[in-house]
This record gives sequence, C-alpha cells and structure tokens, in this order.
Amino acid sequence: MRIFKKEPDFNFMGKRFLAFALSGLIIVAGAIALTTKGFNLGIDFSGGTLIEVSFKNYTNENNLRKVLKKVGFGKSEIQRVGRKENKFFIKTIKSIEEENKSQHKSESVIENQDLGEHEKVAEMIKSSFISEKERASLKGGKIDINNASENKIKNFLITKGASEEDAMESSLKINDLKKNETGLINSFKDLEELKLRRRVMTILKDNTFLGNFTFLSTEIVGPKVGSDLRSKAILATFWALLGMLIYIAFRFKFVYAFAAVITLFHDILVILSFIVFFNVEMSLTVVAAILTLVGYSLNDTIVVFDRVRDNVKLMRREKVESIINRSINQTLTRTIVTSGTTLLTVLALFFFGGEIIHTFSLILIVGILIGTYSSIFQSCAWLKVWEKYFIRRKKI
Amino acid sequence: MKKSMGWKVGLILAVIVFSVWMFYPPKDKINLGLDLKGGMHLILEVQTDEAIRIQTDQSIEQLKSSLKEDGIKFEKVKRVGVNKIEIIGTSFDDERTIKDILEDDFRDWRITYSSNRIILSLRPNIEMKMRDQSVDQALQTIRNRVDEFGVAEPVIQKEGLSGDRLLVQLPGVDDPARVKSLIKSTAMLEWKHVVAGSFPSKEDALEKYGGNLPDDLVILKEKGSKSCYVLRAASVVTGKDLKTARSSVDEYGAPAIGFSLNSRGARKFEKYTSKNIGQRCAIILDNRVLLAPSISTVISGDGIITGRYTSDEVSDMVLMLRSGALPAPMKYLEERTIGPSLGADSIRKGLYACITGLILVLIFMLVFYKGAGINSNVALILNIIILMGILSYFKATLTLPGIAGVILTIGMAVDANVLIFERIKEEIRFGKSPKSAIESGFKKAFLTIFDANLTTIIAAIFLYQFGTGPIKGFSVTLIIGIVASMFTAVFVSRVIFDLIYGKRKKLKKISI
Repeated sequence: MRIFKKEPDFNFMGKRFLAFALSGLIIVAGAIALTTKGFNLGIDFSGGTLIEVSFKNYTNENNLRKVLKKVGFGKSEIQRVGRKENKFFIKTIKSIEEENKSQHKSESVIENQDLGEHEKVAEMIKSSFISEKERASLKGGKIDINNASENKIKNFLITKGASEEDAMESSLKINDLKKNETGLINSFKDLEELKLRRRVMTILKDNTFLGNFTFLSTEIVGPKVGSDLRSKAILATFWALLGMLIYIAFRFKFVYAFAAVITLFHDILVILSFIVFFNVEMSLTVVAAILTLVGYSLNDTIVVFDRVRDNVKLMRREKVESIINRSINQTLTRTIVTSGTTLLTVLALFFFGGEIIHTFSLILIVGILIGTYSSIFQSCAWLKVWEKYFIRRKKI
Repeated sequence: MKKSMGWKVGLILAVIVFSVWMFYPPKDKINLGLDLKGGMHLILEVQTDEAIRIQTDQSIEQLKSSLKEDGIKFEKVKRVGVNKIEIIGTSFDDERTIKDILEDDFRDWRITYSSNRIILSLRPNIEMKMRDQSVDQALQTIRNRVDEFGVAEPVIQKEGLSGDRLLVQLPGVDDPARVKSLIKSTAMLEWKHVVAGSFPSKEDALEKYGGNLPDDLVILKEKGSKSCYVLRAASVVTGKDLKTARSSVDEYGAPAIGFSLNSRGARKFEKYTSKNIGQRCAIILDNRVLLAPSISTVISGDGIITGRYTSDEVSDMVLMLRSGALPAPMKYLEERTIGPSLGADSIRKGLYACITGLILVLIFMLVFYKGAGINSNVALILNIIILMGILSYFKATLTLPGIAGVILTIGMAVDANVLIFERIKEEIRFGKSPKSAIESGFKKAFLTIFDANLTTIIAAIFLYQFGTGPIKGFSVTLIIGIVASMFTAVFVSRVIFDLIYGKRKKLKKISI
C-alpha cells in the first residue's frame, strides 16, 4: 500500500516562516501562561502527600471534602480515578517556602526535621475516613480486614487461637481476594467463598469487620527531594542535549547538530507550553515522557538529515531549499508510518493502561505529534537558517 | 540453502531459544518492581553533619584530658560549627608542649595558631572519609535490621549524587509505621557524665545556670518522663565502642540489656570510672536518658542496663543494638507505600494495553506492507521475545513505566523495518530489480537506522541517570528494545527475505 502514488513534491521549505511564526506563537503564549499561573507541580516536585483511597459504597468529591475539612485539610485536591470507579486521589501540598520557615524556627531539634509534617498530614487524612462505628469496633479489639496487612491478619488469627498453618493459609487467601480492582472485600459472603477452615471463619466473624475503604497507595515526599529533583531534571535534559549534540556533530557536521538541538529546544518548549495550557501536573513521569520525546523527535530528525546529507552529494547543482524539500518528501511516507504505529501503541496505553500512566501517555501522544511536525517543518528550516548566515559557499 | 544461510538461521534460533529459556515461566523469571507487586519505597538521608559533630565532641574531650594531664592551663576548649575546635586562653610558656600534644595525637586536624587562640579544623579529606564511612555504616546497619526483620529481596543502596542518601525498597511490606521506626531508630547508645539532676523540667534545669547553659553541657530528658538531667556534652563512650548486646536479667531477675564494650571502649570506660567514683554516669539511647546510676566501682568492659522493661522491649532493643547503631541520625525524605491490589491492577491493565497495542501494529503493518508486513511482524514478535529474555537475563526490574517502555518499543521497533521497506520501494521505483532493490535497501537504510537509534539511546541513558526506580525501569526497557530492534529488523528481516526470495532465479515482483 502507498500513501502517495508517486514521490510527493510538497514545498515544505516555502512554508518555513509560517511554521516559525506558529511555533513562536505557541511558545510565547506558553511563556505568558507560565508567568500568570505557573506549573501545576505534583508532589514529586513540591513535596506533600498523595493518597489513593478506594471506597466500598458510592461517595463523591463533596462528601470527601466535608470529611477532610473536619481535620483541617479542606483545601486538598480530590480527584476521582477514572469515571465510574469509586477511587480517589487525595493530594495535599504544603509549599516548600512554608516548610523552610518552620525549619528555621525549630533548628537543633533533630527529631522534628523529618518528613514530619507531611507524615502527620497523611495520618490525619487516613484516620479521618474511619466512621464512628468502625472506631468503636477498633477500640473493642476488632481488626479491619480491609486495612490490615497479610502479616497482621496472620498474627491476629494466631493470637485468637488458630493454628499457625491455618493462619498462614487463610491470610494469604484473604490477601489474594483483595487483589481485585477495588482492593476491598465487600462482604463476609465473599470471604466464605474462600472455603477457609470453619474455626478461622468463626474467628473472623466474631473479631473482625470489613471496613468501608482501603488505601491503595500512600506517597509522602519531603520538600528537599522536590527541590533536588527540579535541578536534577534540568541537568539531565542539559546533558542529554549536549550528548546528542556531540554525537551528531561527530557523525554529521556542526550545522546539523545546531539545527537538531534548536529543534529539540523547540520541542521541549512547545510541550511545556501545552503542559501549562492544559494544567497537566508536573511529575517525575512527565519529565520522563518529555525526555523520551526528545529521543523520539531526534530519531525522526536524524532520518531526514541523513537523507539531506546523501542528497547534498547527489544533487550538487541544486539549491539548498530544493535539496531539503526533496529529502523531506522522500522520507515523508516513513515519517507518517512510524508516527502512526507509535501513536497506535501510545493510544492503546492511553485508553487501557490505567490511571497511573494516563498523564504519561497523554504527553506522549501530544509529543509524538509535535515531534513529527518539528522534524518536517522545523529541523531542516534551521539548517537553512545556519546556511544563510554562516556559510559562504553553498554547502551543508 | 547456502552455507552462510545455515549459521544465520542457527543464530536466530539460538537467540529465540535462549530468550524463551531465560524468561519462561514469566511469573518466576521476570523481576517485578515495587509499583507492580506492592511494598515500601523509602529514601533516607544520613545526617552526616551529626556524625562529624559527635566525632568532634569526642576529640574535645580527649584534648581536654591530654592538656590536663600535662598540667597545661587553659580558659576554654570549645566546638565551633561541627568541625572546628578552639582552644582559648593558654599561656605563651606552654606553647611548646601544646604543639607536641597536637602534633602527636591530632594529626587529623589542621592547626592554626594565633595570638590568643589555637584553632583545630578537621582536614577536609579526613572529614570526607568520615562522612562516607558514616553513610556506609548506616547502609550496613539498615541491611542488618532488614535481614533480621525478614524481608525477601530487599533493595538497600546509596542513591543520588550527594552521597548521603539511601534507598530502601521492601517488597511485600505494607506495615509502614512499624518498619519505619525499626529502620530509623538511631539506636545511638551513649554514656555521658552527669553534672546535675534530675530536675522536674527543662526550665528548672536551666534556672540553675541562670538561663544560659554553658557550651559544653546539654540537657536531656529521661525516657518516658519529663524530668531532665544536665550532662556533659561529650560522650564518655558511644555505641561505636559496643562489642555486643544481649538479653539479660538484673539481680532481681527482671529483664535487662547486657552489653560488652570493645577493647578501646573498655579502656576509655575504665579510665573514666576510676576517676569518677561516686559520681553518676547516664546511659543514653537516642537522646533519652535510660538510667543514671552512680559509679560504685571501676567498670571496664561489661555491664547491664536495667529498667522496667518487658522482655519484648529488651529483645527489640538488643536487636537494634546488635545490628549496630546508626552512626548519625537519619531523616526520611520520601516514602511511598503501594498496596498489593494496586500492583495487581496495574499489571492487568499494562498487559492489556501491551497486547492491544501489539495487535494494532501487527494489523497495520500487514495491511500496509502485505507480504513484507508478515516479515516485519515476525521480526516484531521476536523483538519482544528478546526484550523479555534480556530483561530476565540482567535481572532488570519491570515497572509500570517499564511496561510503557515495552509498549513504546513495539511502536518504535517497526521503524527500522519501515525505513528499510520504504528504501526498497524507492529502489524499485528507480527501476532496480527486486533482488538488488532488497540488497541496496538494507544497505542504505542501515546507517540511517544506526544513527537514529544511537541518538535515542543517548537520551535514554541520561534518563536512566536521572531517574528513580520506576523511571530507570522505563529507560532500561527502551534501550534494550532499541538494540533488539536493530538485530531483528536489520538481521532477521534480511534472513527472512533471503530465505523466501534467495532461491528463485527469476524474481519479478515482491510483495511490499
């Protein structure tokens, strides 16, 4: 099958000023948006707590906020996971500046310099979801199967008189039962289906209850990690760019390295602009996605440059514009096909990969489109820019 | 079949067999990351400043006693910052002797003399070594504790560039509070000289000194109560000099902690107790006074720590003391706990996305390139097999972003095939015969593939350097996937073409 009947002959170079203007516009708009609203920093960078909680009965953001307000965290960000599921992310951020202030106050007290505040926040949020009835049961010595670890259940069973073997087998089975979408066991009926020993079952019925919620994950990040990561992310990007620059300068010529790096800066800036526009949360995975795209876009660019390098030798008499146009056209089918297959897989990731990887795949989708656009409209245009201003005789 | 084809096919089969053997059955062979199997991920920072401070305080004590022994008068010896000592108010006549003492016993310090004071500053290389040592020791201590606790396949290693951070990953552990306190308890055991006490509160203690505590003293609380002691800041002996700890009983048969000091500690303790009979010496664990008995005889190496302990408390404390004290306090910087159900859910979804993505790409390639599409699909599936094989061989960890890496690899791996096929089509368009089109298509595309892939690998390597656990997993799969795609697309696809078309003498058309 073919996309183009014969070799296409689009005048991409003729549109280069339009492309410069378009990208410039996006980047400037991004910069303005950044100064007005800034990045939406995730806890990786800002420090804070992120708790994923799953509920047995239907609830919504407003109910959760009411509960959180009681313990003083009404301002936490609450976000439903997916659309129908009864799971929520609860993000509480304490700004780094605040943290620094309190550190200066309490100098010399080693014990308090820990994750401290954030840890307490996590504990308070977690315990706020326990209902009065459950609290009473806990006080009465019962344990909550939905919030007890495998080990805890095992030890509990043993102290209540189950044999060690039974306890071990039962706790393992219970733990496996929890490995469903919700992370919860709904009722004792479900437990009965495990066909545990009758003795164990009696112990469970008399001494345990199935809590209304469970915590799927808890992340607590201190302020120091965040500020370190920021500089680390910038450094990594810098070194990656430098490494690639050197490689291209070595394999091609400096002109190509120059154009490639400008293109990469372009890609990063455009992606960052989109991140600001859509208020995407900046996290470690987003940085990883950006760096991946830098690699992907460069891959695309190199393929075109490689063709330009070949054609410069073959078409000695032609003008630079037409050599470049020809090269882009010759590789156009490949550019489209590869972007297409990569997009297919990333779309699969976006739709089926689950909530945790959602932002990551979203950035990849946008980024692949940007990378494809830039390798067609930006990279070669920058070759021309360099050629125009710095190279006397026609040669790239 | 030509001879040269024989070894090529053989090599491919060998790679397949090896890869499958490496990762089959996947459930046992693939090493899942913490985000997929659940567990705890902790990052701690060793407060190396504290380690240096403790060392400096000990040197001050040693210096004071040396000066006293030689009858040298001085006004004050004090610590400045964490790594400097100032001797103030010595007389000019003693300068010679002081020099001798300092040059003999304080070689780790750089000494500067000025008109009215002598300043000792810890040599930077020694200080660096001490900091490194304290981190290494902390690492070893945590490893001991985790081993005692019984966690399967823990990861305990240094993390980051600053050199004072430790990464601890404990798969399957989802009881954060207990584990955290077990790891973090400094278990720093110290013996300090009691100057005064006990006082009912800190304020009362301070009052005695007119609200202004001298530099060389500290006030510490008693464990489990509000009462305080005023102690000399420098320790007589510390946990570093501890040889062993064991569960023991006191004279009434109540649980107690028995300890033995090593020879250096024993010597120090003997010297101290012999001079201070009748005085009191406090035993301090993690900045809390456990007990402050008066010294009745000269004590050297052995002793017991009594108190109203349960036998469980004693065995916990013994575990911590025996696994070694942390040389300095630690601070948690990051804590992530992933429950087992979330991990299982992630695997399910990741796998589903992988398979969907793969099927989409297979169909696309088949429709677009027909016969050659089958060729590249074989190469793609082989690519995934090799990827899984190498992942298992290097015992690399598969994380959720790692699965994303696999998916992305599926999309990008066909790129090499696409480049080759497009070149072949082009060559045919130029009027070359199918056979020579295949020949030159592979040849011309190779350099492009090589350059393009290598730059991606460079980006992935930096990603690896920068990333924490999950992201490292992502870059590893990406790198392996790209390298594998060079083998499958360039080498395997070629062999498949040769096998199909190689024997035919007159080849008019190929399906591409």
